[in-house]
Amino acid sequence: MFNLELFINGIMTGAFYAVIAIGLTLIFGILKLVNFAHGEYYMVGAYAYTLFAAATGLSPWLGLPVAVAAGAAIALVMERLLMRPLYQGYTNWRMMKDEYAIIVTFGVSLFLMNLATQVIGPEAYQGPELLQRSRIFVGPILLGGHRLVSFAVAAGVLLLVLLFIHYTPQGQQIQAVAQNRFGASLAGINTARVSQWVFAMSGGLAALAGGLLSPMYLAHPMVGMLPATKSFVIVVLGGMGSVAGSLVGGLIMGVLEAFGAVYISYQYQDVFGFILLILVLMLRPWGLFGERAREL
Amino acid sequence: MNTRRKFSGRFLDPASTAIFAVAAVLPLLVQQPYWQGVLVVALYYGIMAVAWNLLAGFAGQFTLSPAAFSLLGAYTSGVLNFHYGLSPAVGIPLGVLVAGLTGLLLGRISVRMRGPYVSLTSVAFLHIVSIVISNSYSITRGDLGLQVPDLFGLSRVGYFYVFLAALVLVQVLVYQLLRSRAGLFIQALRDDELAAASRGVDVTRWKTVVFGISSAMCGLAGGLYVHFIRLASPEIGTILQSGLVVTMAVVGGMATLAGPLIGAFFIQVASEALRAIGMQHMLVFALLVILSVRFFPGGLWGFVEDMLRKPRVPAEPTVAAARERVGP
Repeated sequence: MFNLELFINGIMTGAFYAVIAIGLTLIFGILKLVNFAHGEYYMVGAYAYTLFAAATGLSPWLGLPVAVAAGAAIALVMERLLMRPLYQGYTNWRMMKDEYAIIVTFGVSLFLMNLATQVIGPEAYQGPELLQRSRIFVGPILLGGHRLVSFAVAAGVLLLVLLFIHYTPQGQQIQAVAQNRFGASLAGINTARVSQWVFAMSGGLAALAGGLLSPMYLAHPMVGMLPATKSFVIVVLGGMGSVAGSLVGGLIMGVLEAFGAVYISYQYQDVFGFILLILVLMLRPWGLFGERAREL
Repeated sequence: MNTRRKFSGRFLDPASTAIFAVAAVLPLLVQQPYWQGVLVVALYYGIMAVAWNLLAGFAGQFTLSPAAFSLLGAYTSGVLNFHYGLSPAVGIPLGVLVAGLTGLLLGRISVRMRGPYVSLTSVAFLHIVSIVISNSYSITRGDLGLQVPDLFGLSRVGYFYVFLAALVLVQVLVYQLLRSRAGLFIQALRDDELAAASRGVDVTRWKTVVFGISSAMCGLAGGLYVHFIRLASPEIGTILQSGLVVTMAVVGGMATLAGPLIGAFFIQVASEALRAIGMQHMLVFALLVILSVRFFPGGLWGFVEDMLRKPRVPAEPTVAAARERVGP
């Protein structure tokens, strides 16, 4: 039996997943590293959006750019201080680049979570809604006002990101660096600046999702953990480094979860995603959309 | 590397022996039960840090799941005791077995993966274990946890020596393994898997084996720990607990023998001291991890080793490091 309401709900959740996952896949694309601190960009965004509205009393719409700026700023600092050594003169005889990247991003994740606990406190805050009207009918389906508006924002941003990456010179530079960093630098591309751009985008996108979802999933120090692990699943599913893959992967994930929670098991719904992740890594490590010629 | 000197001891390297000798007299110096408890917990983390260091530091498999295997060891003994009244003397070895076999499975799954993919798989694995355990109410009572008895009415000091004995056992096993021919194969995996395979090292076998051993050790730690705190709860197996173990091994010194021991004691004692002044201890340690990998990748013990090495020469490059340098 096909349930249209579940499908729509799944697509809407999936769009947010895609917004979060695209940042992760972009960083993987250019640096070939998994950023274990990605969930904390989301957390920073959720806090920035929530606390901005609470502190200033201004429209929550103004909180969105604040959230994006906060996430981008954190990501830029991280790139400059900790990631840049990876591609500019990495001289560490004790650790390979992979090992360094895993530990340092995991360390940043622990650091930011505990920083939030120390500075803001462990309690959860609920973000303000963008649209106060509580329910809107779209055809036969009833949707919350905030949910609909934030979905529109997420979908619009996704479209902009795709256009940016495919049609602007900066976006094409990102693609070039992802294909071959050395080759791109020979062609005159400033690879350090491209990396900065990618980190800023990645942080900004995750933070935007954090802000948009904060009325539902709140803002607290651990809030980024679940979206981050879900975006790992999505990025692996879609193929590491593939932007289109993570877009489709996010939508698939959202729909699967919506149906799985109702028809299979609500308690264990998150387990299926992780089993899927392990299966894909085992059987089809290049993902559904990634290129096959890659060493795992 | 200075392998010959590092592995000169017959049973154990000199540094670890010295640390254990100091540890053995600690209960005489520390009289307050509270601090004795802190030391027992430090030993618990010590076992896990040594086990993780074997897997990540020496075999190059960067898992983030030591806490999941501790959780498996804890719940194996906990569930069997809670529902069937099985003695911990049987339950703990069974926990080691369950954790070890699960580790073999995870190792087999990760055989073809490298670097961040192994980490991702282990994170997924950790979440699967913890979600299944905290949602299977009928068996595990979810977040309520299971009350389990202590170990034969031991005192705090008694626990200290049981945990110390386990840590010594684990460290001796790691030492003997690394010193053997198999140990060279395992370290070859880390340095260059492709080259190792081309020289006839059975990559699949040794990777699986080292996963199994490391996981069994974490299972032992969890099994003992659950009978110390007398409560099996999902809190044992969170990613933050894994983070703490990784922190200890990295700050103490990855890929060194004594590093994880030093790290576990240092971090555990420091975290109690920080708690006294009202600081989030993990905040400080996470910063320490970042600074350590950025500026002192050898950790505390690696730093000491570099100082001791005479004449002072730059650390010798490994093959893998050289490959990293040459690559695009």
